[in-house]
Amino acid sequence: MSEAKIQTGPLVDPHGETRDDCAVIALKNVTREYAGHGSTVRALADATFSIVAGEWVAITGPSGSGKSTLVNLIGCLDRPTAGQLKIDNVDVASMTATELDRFRADKIGFIFQQFHLIPYLSAIENVMLAQYFHSMTDEAEARAALVRVGLGERVSHLPSELSGGEQQRVCIARALINNPPILLADEPTGNLDAANQTIVAELLQDLHRNGHTIVMVTHDPEMAGLAQRRIALSHGKVFCHPVGGPMVTLRR
Amino acid sequence: MFFRLLMESFRRQRRRKMLAGVAILLGTTAVTAMLALATTIGDRIHKELAVYGANIVVYPKADLLDVKVGGVDVKPASGGVYLKESDLEKLKTIFWANNITGVSPELPLQLTATRQEDGRLFPARTVGYWFDHDFGTLKTGAQALHPWWRLQGTWPLVHSRDVVVGATLAKQMELKIGDSFRLQGMAGNAGQPISLTANIVGIVTTGDGTDSEILLSLQDAQLFAGANDAVRRVEVSARTKPEDAFARVDPDSLPPKQREIWYCRPYANSIAYQIREAIPGAQAEQVRRVEQSEGNVLKRISGLMWLISAAALLAAGFAVSAAMATAILERRGEIGLMRSLGASKGSIALLFYAEAGLLAVLAGTMGYLLGSGLAAWLGARIFAGDGGAAEAVLIPVLLPVVVALALVVAIAGSTPSIRAALRMEPSAILRADA
Ligand SMILES: Nc1ncnc2c1ncn2[C@@H]1O[C@H](COP(=O)(O)OP(=O)(O)OP(=O)(O)O)[C@@H](O)[C@H]1O
Ligand SMILES: [Mg+2]
Repeated sequence: MSEAKIQTGPLVDPHGETRDDCAVIALKNVTREYAGHGSTVRALADATFSIVAGEWVAITGPSGSGKSTLVNLIGCLDRPTAGQLKIDNVDVASMTATELDRFRADKIGFIFQQFHLIPYLSAIENVMLAQYFHSMTDEAEARAALVRVGLGERVSHLPSELSGGEQQRVCIARALINNPPILLADEPTGNLDAANQTIVAELLQDLHRNGHTIVMVTHDPEMAGLAQRRIALSHGKVFCHPVGGPMVTLRR
Repeated sequence: MFFRLLMESFRRQRRRKMLAGVAILLGTTAVTAMLALATTIGDRIHKELAVYGANIVVYPKADLLDVKVGGVDVKPASGGVYLKESDLEKLKTIFWANNITGVSPELPLQLTATRQEDGRLFPARTVGYWFDHDFGTLKTGAQALHPWWRLQGTWPLVHSRDVVVGATLAKQMELKIGDSFRLQGMAGNAGQPISLTANIVGIVTTGDGTDSEILLSLQDAQLFAGANDAVRRVEVSARTKPEDAFARVDPDSLPPKQREIWYCRPYANSIAYQIREAIPGAQAEQVRRVEQSEGNVLKRISGLMWLISAAALLAAGFAVSAAMATAILERRGEIGLMRSLGASKGSIALLFYAEAGLLAVLAGTMGYLLGSGLAAWLGARIFAGDGGAAEAVLIPVLLPVVVALALVVAIAGSTPSIRAALRMEPSAILRADA
């Protein structure tokens, strides 16, 4: 890639230092290694970049390049083996396991390729589950979230009674129910057809307009095109480049 | 939400819960049945044995004075003090008269039997009894108080010179039913010799000393003793309330109100007390047959049952553990998801433990009912004789015990798999669950 290693945009100052103050996600030399059989796998190597609040970033790269690893680190489901990861200006390493759970409930909404809905809970109960682990359940609010993703008529359906696209929309409703600043989507349209992909894309655009920071893993160039910036991964290494509109719009 | 989660998980995934549920169910069924049998077996054996023999003996108060000489039985027939046979009517007047199910007076004598064919002498203890005696509404006597006696032939009639000979003695004398022999003794203290020809109408097998004795009607024995109306000892069987601490107090030390209560309870002690009151010169005492002779056997049987209970519980524990491991392995995706939603390990563990607990309570309760049924069925087979066919043995105190055991087993059994599932990296679970 010709633009490899070009660091552009307002997030990085001319000296290559990350400007942490306005970054909602900031990585500094973040490495994640997995101890394999005899050898260690470097899933993410020395990643340094930042994402500002309200930004929509697409993460691309071939299979096994460390995309999911990166998303799980940002989502605090995993901890770096080396380097510093700050979410909302808090160093993840400084938090206890309990604090991390709390932090995840408050700050992060996950959207999965496989939806991960609880099979014995209805659509609305799946959404309420997120409320339950966050604070308190509120059925009206959960219903409103499902209406927002266009599932007002199917609140009491079980996941097995919903199409893939509908399941993904339940997953999105669940991810946004606690109004987290950061949405992490690991191939949200990976299991969807074109029509459903469009619906999900529109929902994400809507969320972006409402100020959510979105980190989205995708193989789909069309989806990646919706994002403002693309972070490309290859063999665990990061290449950042701007995609779409001018970065200036990201300034707060 | 917590309860909704539990309920939905049970309502919609009934099949998934089955394996662990069935393991708990079978375990608690076995445990309940064993515990129910172990706790009731004492009562039931007691009940069985209560059918046998006396629970109260009555003898002359004067016997208390020469305890050192030995038991009642070794006293010379002529030398003793007697109770009056006619006084036995007074048993019908005591407070708990209706609870008396059998009365058997005895008058032992030391007589000599002579074989008529060759003149051989056999000194033999000879005892006068009631046989099928009409006593108010009861037909009672020796056989009623000694139901284990096995008689060939018939019991002697009153004033008939008929006798029944113990099996051992009959063998020694080489006599059989229909034969006769001479019976001799000294009447009373005066020492007037009496002799009669006795006809053997029956041979009795008892398994105890009576096998070497001669049995005849009380009236004939009184004739030999030269003492009309005399009785040496009376065995009484009565339906009684099982002995408790209150039963053992001395009624004369109680305040009147308490004494009244004690008196009006059908303890063996109370009935004995009332017999002492009713019959002049009588000493009446409770006989503790079960505790004395069967206590050890009982202890061993219930020990064995406890052992089986423990084994059943242990087996259930392993089965539950295996079933839980499968169930939780299947659901580790849920655990990963809950972690991604910010659920702490503690709250997830709580949820899974609550499920295990609920399963334990449900399956444990069912196991309790099933086990009680099983115990009733087994009980009816083991104690087939007592007519209490499949009488339900629902022991309420067992329910909390069994449910608590089920809880312990379910929680202990699921702990390893819950802990293992929580130890897994949520990111790895979510990845693997694709
Ligand atoms: N738990 C783990 N243990 C060992 N190795 C792992 C683990 N998780 C990921 N890896 C390795 O780390 C590397 C990056 O994995 P990752 O899942 O982040 O890739 P990805 O970019 O998401 O791939 P895909 O597009 O197929 O989802 C891979 O080589 C993978 O085998
Ligand atoms: Mg991936």
